[in-house]
This record gives sequence, C-alpha cells and structure tokens, in this order.
Amino acid sequence: MSTLRRRRFLQSIAGAPAAAALLSEPLPAQQKPAAADAPKLPTLTVDAVGETVNRFFTPVQFASLRRLSELLFPAPAGMPGTAETKTAEFLDFLIGISPADRKKLYRTGLDGLNLAARKKYAKDFSATDATQADAIVRPLLVAWTYEPPADPMIRFLCEAHDDIRKATMNSTEWAEAANKSAARRRGLSSGLYFNRID
Amino acid sequence: MASKEYDVLIIGSGHAGGMAANVLTKKNINCLMLNAGPVADLQKDRTVKAAHELPFHGFGEPGRNPHIVIGDEFNANQWVGEREVPYTHETDARYDWVRVRLVGGRSLFWARQSFRLSDFEFKAKDHDGFGENWPIDLAELDPYYSRVEAIFKVTGRKENLPQFPDGNFVPMEERPDTKSIQRLTDAAKSKGIAVSKMRSSMGENGLASSINLLLPEAAATGFLDVVPNAIVREITVDKNTGKANGAYFIDRHSKREMHVKARVVVLAAGTLESTRLLLNSGIANSSGMVGHYLIDQIYGCKVVAAVPEAKDGKAPAGTMGGSVFIPRFRNLKKGEKNNFLRGYALPISSGASPDAKIFAEYGTELQKKLDGYRGACVQGGIYGEVLPRYENYVRINKDVKDAWGIPVLHIHAKYTDNELNMTRDAANTQEELYKAAGFEILFKSDKIFAPGYSIHELGTCRMGDNPKTSVLNKYNQTHDIKNLFVVDGAAFVTGGWQNPTMTISALSMRASEYLAEEMRKKNI
Repeated sequence: MSTLRRRRFLQSIAGAPAAAALLSEPLPAQQKPAAADAPKLPTLTVDAVGETVNRFFTPVQFASLRRLSELLFPAPAGMPGTAETKTAEFLDFLIGISPADRKKLYRTGLDGLNLAARKKYAKDFSATDATQADAIVRPLLVAWTYEPPADPMIRFLCEAHDDIRKATMNSTEWAEAANKSAARRRGLSSGLYFNRID
Repeated sequence: MASKEYDVLIIGSGHAGGMAANVLTKKNINCLMLNAGPVADLQKDRTVKAAHELPFHGFGEPGRNPHIVIGDEFNANQWVGEREVPYTHETDARYDWVRVRLVGGRSLFWARQSFRLSDFEFKAKDHDGFGENWPIDLAELDPYYSRVEAIFKVTGRKENLPQFPDGNFVPMEERPDTKSIQRLTDAAKSKGIAVSKMRSSMGENGLASSINLLLPEAAATGFLDVVPNAIVREITVDKNTGKANGAYFIDRHSKREMHVKARVVVLAAGTLESTRLLLNSGIANSSGMVGHYLIDQIYGCKVVAAVPEAKDGKAPAGTMGGSVFIPRFRNLKKGEKNNFLRGYALPISSGASPDAKIFAEYGTELQKKLDGYRGACVQGGIYGEVLPRYENYVRINKDVKDAWGIPVLHIHAKYTDNELNMTRDAANTQEELYKAAGFEILFKSDKIFAPGYSIHELGTCRMGDNPKTSVLNKYNQTHDIKNLFVVDGAAFVTGGWQNPTMTISALSMRASEYLAEEMRKKNI
C-alpha cells in the first residue's frame, strides 16, 4: 500500500484512539478554517426566550393535563413545579407531532379524566381538589416496566405519568434550579450527544 | 475510470468484516471494503449535553425511529434511520431491528460482554433433540476463540463449567464481593446454581471495535481499501462460471450506481443486511433456506428487590455494589423436566436505584419511595435462548424500497410458549433467590421485549453439512457459490443466550483463514 493510501485510511478513522495517535501532525496555519480562531458567541436556548404556542389539545384537555401534571409531580422543595417548567405546554407540542396512536391515547385519556370528574363531581377534572383527583387517578395506577397495560385509561396514565416526570426534570427551568445544588445536579439528565453525520 | 479487480470484496466493516480484512490482508490478499454509511469521528462527533439542550428535551423526535427502544435522543443519530431504510413486519408481530451503518458498524457501540458458545449450543440437537447441530463443535472453534479473546483483551473468572466455557482471559484483580452479592451468591449455591462474574472485552481505552482493534492493522499491510457511503445493492454472478464476480453499489450521497469487480465476495453486513443482499441478488438459495431460522435472544423480565438494611441511605459500608452473572443452569442434565427447552443467564447487579415506574404511586408518596430505596436495590433481567424455527423468517418486500430504491426486508418473527415459559422461570428464580438472600421484593415482571430488542439477530443463512437444509458449509462458504462467504451472525444454527460477538469474530477468523488457504491453493 502506498503511504498515501494508508494515511488516508487512518485519517478516515480518526475517532479510533489507536489511529488518533498517528495523526498528530498539526495542520499548517494557512490551512486552518477561517472561523477557527473566532471567539465563541454566547447563545441561549429557545426555551429561555419564548413561550410554546399551544395548538394540539383543546382548552379543556389542556387544562386537564395541567391539573394532572401538578397532581402527579408536585414541586419538590427548592425545585420548580410543573407550572413553572411548562410541562403541559411542552407535552402539547410533543404529542401534537407524535404518531396518531399516541395522540389518540392522550386525547382519550384526558377526555376520560374529565368525563369521570364531571360524572362524579359535576366539574371539570381541572377544577378537582386533591382528594377528588386522587379518587379518579388512584384506581388507574399500576406498577409497570417496559410495556404499560393495554387498557387505554391505565396505559394513558402510565405513559402520561412517565412523560410528565421526564418533561419536568428535563426542562431548562429544572436544570437551572438543580444547578444550584450539588445533589440535584447529579440527578440531571445529560449524556454524550451524537451529532448528525453526513 | 475503469475499475480494477480486487481479490476480495468485503461488504460491511463491523467485527465480522474487520476480522476478515485483518486476516486476509496479512496474507497479502488485496481487499476492498464497502460500507453503507459514513465514517464517524468519535471525538469530534460527540458532545456532552444536558437533556434540556436537545430539541426534544431527551424524548427524541416522535416517530423517527419507533423500533429503536434502546435508543434515546442522545444517540438517535448513530442508528440507521427507519425513514431512510425502512423494513416491514406483521402488525401483530413487532420486530425491533436496530442497525448502525457507520464504518465499524455495531462494533462501535456494543456492550463488550464476551462469551463463548458451549457444546450445549453447538450440539443442541444431540442434547435435547430440537433443531439441528452446528457442523462444528467447541473444540474446533477453541483456538480461534483464544486468539480473538487475546485481540479483544477479554477479562473473566475461570469456572470450569461446561455450559460456560472458560477463555483466554487477561488476568485482572478481582475485588471482594459486597455483602449483598455474597448473600445472593450463597442463596444461589444453596439451590445448586453456579455463580460467576461478567466476562468483558477491555479493548483499548474502552473501545473494542473493528475500527481500533482490527482495521488499523489491516490498513497497515497496504492491502486494504475502505470506501464509506457505498451501499451494495446486488452481488453479481458470472453467467458462464456461476461464480460471484463483484457487486453493484450506490453512492450514498449522489445515488450514482457503480460496479466493482472481485474474485471473491465476503458478506459481513450484519445478519439481516447480508441476508437481504442475498435475497435481493437471488443467489445462494438452492436450499430455499436463505432467510429462515431467524433467531435472537430474549431480553427483559425485570425483578427488583431491596436490601432491607440499605434502605433510607443507611447501607452499612461494603453492603451494596457489584454484580453477579449466573450462566445457564436449566436443562443441563438430559431428561431434566422443565416446561421449556434450552436455558438462560441472569445478569444481576447491586446498588441500583429503582425506576419510578415500578411503584403504583405518585406525588410525594412516590418520591418517598424513590428516596428510601435509592441505591438500596438488587435487580436483574434475562439473557434467554430463542429456539431456531423455520417459520421465523425474513423475505424481500418488493412493495417498499429504501431511500436508494432497494427493496426492503419483511421480518416475520414470533416468540412461542418456549420463550414465554423460560422467561417466567427466570422471573420466579430471581424472586426465589432474592427472598432466600433476605431481600424485599419490590417488583417482578416476566414481560419481555419484542423480538430484535437484544440487537443479537442471528441465523437466516445457517451453516450445515447438508446443502439441502443449510446455506453455508462449516467454513461460512455458500454451498451454491464457492467464492461467496457469509461471515457474520447469519451463519448461526443456534443462538444460545451468549452475546454472539466472540463467536462471530472467531468464525470470521476461521473462515477467512480457510479462504486465504483455498485462494493460495487456487481452489477459489
């Protein structure tokens, strides 16, 4: 193999530590991209400046989702609640772009909670107090793992509970609060993000 | 530009293709490796991010890759996109096919658990009468396993158990077991169940991939060309000789179709992609067996228990942490009565915190439980064998094509009572062990993931001595076309419960050495 051929291969797998060690020759200064020395501009995430525009759930469904969120995941001491983290707003966006079966699950589930509240207490689920909401939700609670049960209401509650916790704990507001405490910071969800590769 | 003729065309760059390249190029055989996807730079292409910095806050783009249950938004870009390369399955028989097309394939991301198959798998039919034996046994593959283990730097504890063959392990210091692990070990031993430790490939700097362990040496010989973004559509066959003579491939970016010539073709695209390519090429299938006997491994079955004295953050020092690995212990004796054939292994760890989903609670009551059991749990799952069945198969679905116009695969795979009964046994056994160890059971589920979840799809071009009932001979050479080899997991006759990487690599090494010798003798 020519030296060039071998070098080309090693360059192509520069992610491999064994190969990386062989690629220590720096690029000549004139070959560096023009932007390489530019100072890094501080930026913000979209959540820091804007409000999610909600358009998927009906007003009644959305109000039920907000009530369900604050019921299932009340704010721990020193941390923001689901209203502050805009959990329902984020889920409105997420479910709104989800496959049809997930949209149906949420709509059916939220309508089901509202129907139960109206039947039992002659009020919307969003207006129920803690005792009333508990009476509606508790019979639907199950322990589960990979796959929630098939019953649509139980399945809805399993998935919604999981989603509400995740959306809240993965929010910008939660991260900002968690960063103030070493113990909370350890619980933040983070990871090695794989960029899109062309 | 006129294409040159290569000695060997290797399709795929994971452990199987990497091993073929490593062996063949060292014998001065001129190889071309075509890989369907791009090259990843594992340093530059990955960045540490918080979930809230991701576009979908860690949920991932809805509907993007619905079958990649194991994936998340952090790693979404490493997998093959289901919109680009779809596949189909029955509506009532989900199959989760998880693929990587980066150079290095799935060898970039595997869990590095490194086991040998035993003769309970190689000669399974002799043991329980079901299915077929492999045409080779452990003794035949043993020297290749040893060499592969040396390359991968496999660590492990020798046990002298026939169902869990020892290997050529790198010595390492074993840390003493924590008290919870000691109690679990004692409980297992009292029930006659052997307990061991995980066996893993250390590789280099935590990476045991073809791109760092196999391909650099191959490239250094001067006999390897690697072309990324080259999607092979069809293997071509000389009409006069009946031999493979190259392949049509498509440039991933421009979609330009090309042809390359080769004296020998080695398929190493990953079990189902290799099979898809054979089926789309319409070759090597005089037996009608290409695509049949799809197997994988059972994953799932979660049992979680708490160590009572470790609750509320009060674990005495040395109580929690560590793990045990319980290799197959069922159906080892002939005539043993269980309501399933074959067996499973139990990977169990100590020191975990429970998942919120396992409690039927919410709000502050749920939080109390999560806080109380934090770090106080022992939990395990299952690695279970799936029986090879003719009726679990793949075929080409001509009605659906991928982004490059290539017909996709239709997968038909279902678990049977054998797999379900095995999983129930695994859940019950864990429960018994945890109770015997004095742990408090918090959650028990015998639910399993859909077929495919383990990412250990195997079979569909099984090897055998009989060309009427198998696709490959014992050297991974197709019965029909002598200069066509399939060196990945498609060759498996049984899958066992073991991570298949060591076996795939050993088989590829053995097949490649056979191929090199046949080429030297001018038999191929």
